Amino acid sequence: MAAPGFLVGIDVGGTFTDVVAYAGDGRALALAKVPSLPGEQWRGVLEALSALGIAPTAIRAFVHGTTIATNALLERKGARTALVTTAGFRDVLEIGKCRRLAGGLFDAAWQRPPPIAPRDRRLEVAERTAADGTVLEVLDPAALASLAETLSARGAEAIAVAFVNSYVNAGNELAAAAALREALPGIPVSTSAALAPERGEFERTSTCVLNAYLTPVMTAYLTRLADALAERGVVAPVDIMGSNGGAMTLDAAAERCAGTFLSGPVGGVVGALRVAGDAGVRDLVTFDMGGTSTDVALIHDGRPRMSHDNQIDAYPLQMPQLDIHTIGAGGGSIVWVQPDGTLGVGPRSAGAVPGPACYGRGGTEPTVSDANLLLGRLPTARALSGGLVLQRERAERAFATLGRNLGVTDVVALADAAVRIAVAKMAGAVREVSVHRGFDPRDFALVGFGGAGPMHAFLVAAELGMSRVLVPPHPGHVSALGQMLADMRRDLVEVWGGRLSQLDLGDLRARADRLRARGGDLLRADGIAPERHRFAFSVDARYAGQSFTLPITWEPTDVDWTPLRRAFDARHEETFGYADATNDLEIVNLRLVATGLVDQPVLDLAPHGAGDPRIERRAVWLDGWREVDVLDREKLGIGTALDGPLIVEEAGGTTVVPPGWTVEVHASGALLCASG
Amino acid sequence: MSIGQLELIRESLIAVVHEMRANVIRSSYSSIIYEGHDFSCALVAADGRLVAQGAADNPIHIFAVPYSTARIVEAFADDIHEGDIFLHNDPYTGGTHLNDVLMLYPVFDRGRLALFAATRCHWGDVGGMTPGSLSGRVREVYQEGLRITPTRICERGRMNDAFLGLLFDNMRIARERRGDFNTMLGTSRKAAEHLRRLFDRFGGDTLLDAVETLIAGAERVMRERIAAVPDGTYQAEGYLDNDGHGDEPLVGRLALTIDGDRIEADFTGSSPQTMGPTNVGPAMAFNAVASIVKSFLDPDTPVNHGSFNPIAIVNPPGSFLNATLPAPCGGMVECRALMCGLVVSALGRAMPDRLVGDLKGGANHVYVSGPRPDGDGIFLLYEYPAGGTGATARGDGNHAVRAFPEGDFNAVQSVEVVEAQCPLRVERHTLREGSCGDGEHRGGLGLRREVRVLVDGASLSVLADKNVIPPFGVAGGASGAANRFTVVRGGVSIEPSPVPGKVGGFALRAGDVVRMESSGGGGHGDPLARAASAVASDVALGYLDADQAARRYGVVLGPDGVDLDATEAARARLAAAVLRAPVVARADDDIERSRRRLTLPPALAGALEVEDGDLVELTTPSSGAALRAWARVGAVDDVLALGPVGRSVLGIAPGDEVTLRVVRREPQ
Repeated sequence: MAAPGFLVGIDVGGTFTDVVAYAGDGRALALAKVPSLPGEQWRGVLEALSALGIAPTAIRAFVHGTTIATNALLERKGARTALVTTAGFRDVLEIGKCRRLAGGLFDAAWQRPPPIAPRDRRLEVAERTAADGTVLEVLDPAALASLAETLSARGAEAIAVAFVNSYVNAGNELAAAAALREALPGIPVSTSAALAPERGEFERTSTCVLNAYLTPVMTAYLTRLADALAERGVVAPVDIMGSNGGAMTLDAAAERCAGTFLSGPVGGVVGALRVAGDAGVRDLVTFDMGGTSTDVALIHDGRPRMSHDNQIDAYPLQMPQLDIHTIGAGGGSIVWVQPDGTLGVGPRSAGAVPGPACYGRGGTEPTVSDANLLLGRLPTARALSGGLVLQRERAERAFATLGRNLGVTDVVALADAAVRIAVAKMAGAVREVSVHRGFDPRDFALVGFGGAGPMHAFLVAAELGMSRVLVPPHPGHVSALGQMLADMRRDLVEVWGGRLSQLDLGDLRARADRLRARGGDLLRADGIAPERHRFAFSVDARYAGQSFTLPITWEPTDVDWTPLRRAFDARHEETFGYADATNDLEIVNLRLVATGLVDQPVLDLAPHGAGDPRIERRAVWLDGWREVDVLDREKLGIGTALDGPLIVEEAGGTTVVPPGWTVEVHASGALLCASG
Repeated sequence: MSIGQLELIRESLIAVVHEMRANVIRSSYSSIIYEGHDFSCALVAADGRLVAQGAADNPIHIFAVPYSTARIVEAFADDIHEGDIFLHNDPYTGGTHLNDVLMLYPVFDRGRLALFAATRCHWGDVGGMTPGSLSGRVREVYQEGLRITPTRICERGRMNDAFLGLLFDNMRIARERRGDFNTMLGTSRKAAEHLRRLFDRFGGDTLLDAVETLIAGAERVMRERIAAVPDGTYQAEGYLDNDGHGDEPLVGRLALTIDGDRIEADFTGSSPQTMGPTNVGPAMAFNAVASIVKSFLDPDTPVNHGSFNPIAIVNPPGSFLNATLPAPCGGMVECRALMCGLVVSALGRAMPDRLVGDLKGGANHVYVSGPRPDGDGIFLLYEYPAGGTGATARGDGNHAVRAFPEGDFNAVQSVEVVEAQCPLRVERHTLREGSCGDGEHRGGLGLRREVRVLVDGASLSVLADKNVIPPFGVAGGASGAANRFTVVRGGVSIEPSPVPGKVGGFALRAGDVVRMESSGGGGHGDPLARAASAVASDVALGYLDADQAARRYGVVLGPDGVDLDATEAARARLAAAVLRAPVVARADDDIERSRRRLTLPPALAGALEVEDGDLVELTTPSSGAALRAWARVGAVDDVLALGPVGRSVLGIAPGDEVTLRVVRREPQ
């Protein structure tokens, strides 16, 4: 039974801050959308709460998706960060393994993005641990004392400590960090193995430096937010959405802030997972299309896929994130003519300002949204939510200008081509998270949300041969919904393994027990009662001799290795086209996802309106002009079955259903759509 | 074709290549592929023209594929069927070096050969004289491993297991080779499936028509861009250190002609092929020219063969840049780098804003190999440390990173991976301070990496160039430091080979440290024009020390930063010490075997502290690469005499002033 009070989820985006609140079973979801306030994200959060009009004291849980980490990195507004390394390795951060990691092919003037900790703030200390964990050289306390003085003299505001082989034995690293914390109170110290206890000094060092860089910014933000909320009378704990798909406490977020880069997009995945689950769909690809970018992720059997080797900008990040693929194409992407005479869409975007030409706010270049307007897929006669009336003639002018450069006069054909190209890019992103990972997208439903998702989802699905599309209720608020519903989550990893033929199952069980105990402790510290703890183990496995691993679920109840071996061979065959049953397996890591379940309310998101749903009939280009019904989603009752072509409009978006698709309004409120 | 269809087909074809890449990386067995990413994928037309590659694919691999494919199509003509697969690595018919093995997988549409899926992977070992196969000390191609001329390894679905068995039985770590072979096979099959879906969707004819239209579009852009470059013939001259055995350098010559919307690159006059590894087959000249032309003129249009149609290559067989059997070709990357440098220098004079300083001069192949402590076979560490990249008119070069005409893959391995898998301990992975080529914009720094060997019985092989003749600067900028590969034994540095940078199986002892120092990038412009604040920042970051800042840049640092007065005085002193002299014409170029010679009056030689046989160079602010020559101290009039080619390389006329300076292996 759920406790009384509101659950609140807040998602801060580049343009809008979205908030949802839910008071209990059977009650309507409260929604609001306010403009985001760059630089003062916490104020936007407060305004979003005010816009909801609920009493602060009535809030019992509050989860927040923040872009603080992403923005601080993009704008290079993190702390003056110092790095302490093993002697001989201070340049690992700057050189890496000599890869560019950020374009540069055919560009002689390309310049590598500067390292976050510049060379004069990268200091070495004599110490060494061998690959088997043996300490070859212990730390000298006197050297650390002088190091602390240097760090202080160079104005370090945050410190990263990353030693070679600390993933096997973090003793020296932790000792150095402890000494620095004592010598330099008030300066946060991040250690590499605590964040990413995995092999690979470059990736681990980079992760640690990113974390240190962001810590002061994140701490300041979270403190200000917590104070402001307390001042308003919010007594509920405030949690932050992590990139791993689970919420974390403010303390955890301050400690592991590099684990919040995907705080926002993850909300969309969690929200879509819940909404799809309520409609009985467990295999899905989320398609969250906004104005400037689109995020896609694959969920197999109700579980989002994780990715452990990530890159933010040109910087490796070795922390578990949901495997979300982002591309720089959205409704605001600009349509242009490339030098070889072909049509290009993006990556430049008209953004929120000036926005697409049809917004009439000064934009003159044609965008994907302008194309949709010319194709009749967006309304011109009536105001959108927010009061904006789209101006068709401006979109037409923008495309006519483009057409002159191409020798094309038919603006509709041009607009259709632009949307198709944008859709091809979106399909490429879906392929990235499905085909490239060994999944066939045709086995999945595409869940379209975000401002432009429901309008393009059907085209993307058709491009990939996907026959099912799901449009969640309130498609503009799915991310905030996901924030609201997030469970607490902690990811743990232990480097353990070897050849499967030589491994001892008992050893693994003992390690798993210890890992589970640690996970339980962390969740208890997060305030989650033990009966709500859930644990899921997996191992990273590969054929002996390979490097890349596949994550394979492992159950502590397995009586031998057979299930693991079978699962791996099958997964490898699926992913790479062959299995090698004669080769030994190698296990590299043991992973644990510790989840603290929060109350999952029964959501009633079905439409409540009644009456004739028909708003109008209008001409829409769907491989030719067709007169189609435009319906009001609020008035579509449960069980309603419809055939495309048709358009469904609502406050958060426009669903464009092409011919050949059927639509059913599911009891959960979702539109379940299928093509013949 | 409807509007947008062309773009959709292009996106779809590039998507096939991306999928191939993802597949190779994630399923390969050898670290050189999964960690090093030393492989590439592409789609090729039925006649061998390049159709699509990905942004991460390496032009070194891919731009040679058309040549190989054309040879295979020529050899098998109408005898190519569904279910056939071809393997190839022979340099004389379009391969790169023997380690790069190409799998060509024909894909059919309704019975017609439509496209090839091409995957080229660097196999860690292909047999031959030393572990890893590449060595600086080979004398014929047979010592570099097994040569696979265009071979059908699978005929109508039936794999030729006897051939494959023979292949793998003659390579070290055969299990890994088989694994990589399977990866290539799986990748090709998936690509073929994907392509067949595209044929179904767009129609095979439409798809192939679109390919032609895209190729024509890229060609049109390239021709427009070439037409905008001033017509003329631009000459360039450059050297490789040697052939791995003697100390005679190899000269590469280029006459690059811009004629309307065409480019002709003529390498006539380059040194004869050698008995060492520094040779290349016929595909690589095109490869180098195409890479630089694409970079300078149209870097943005997605790669297809259209960009290369306006390029013609003249390259007579028998030279080290178009070698024939049995010249070894392990030094393929070194020869390509030389040719890239020649094109940069020549085309850079026609397009000065694109000029870029030279870089490490090849791959820098380093192998450390020996018995595994557990007795289970051998371990093999293969790295190819990147150097600093060259400076441009727009900015400084980058430190130790893959350069613009190379694919973006790891050049060294993770320290922790190396230590976990090999009886080695990496003791240093840092920038090589002070190694940059000076200039108004300086080149990037090289890398210094030290690996201690923990077991007896290991050996070291190295194949690298620019250990003797360092990377050149441009537009008056200075040379970067040369590469250097040494062994530290008992605290003493020893040379593992009589020929620097060419090491074949040097016996290492437990406790030895292999020290790799990669070169710095060439500078751009006059070092004395570099902003003093930029030099001060280089010192603060430890890229240069204060002494180097003063000697090389004339920047004097005081306790509060740049000492402006002292800097002005120091710069005036350094400027006054620069030796400038007018050039007079001589009828022919002074060439002795491969070397350009420059006769210096004794007074001038004395002022420069140059002895007979020392390397010197001539530059001007508007020259491309500096012109290198070996000094001959002789009693001549007080003038510098240059023949027509030399003057042409510098773009100067008799009477023009040039700067003369000594070239050292490390900036002084």
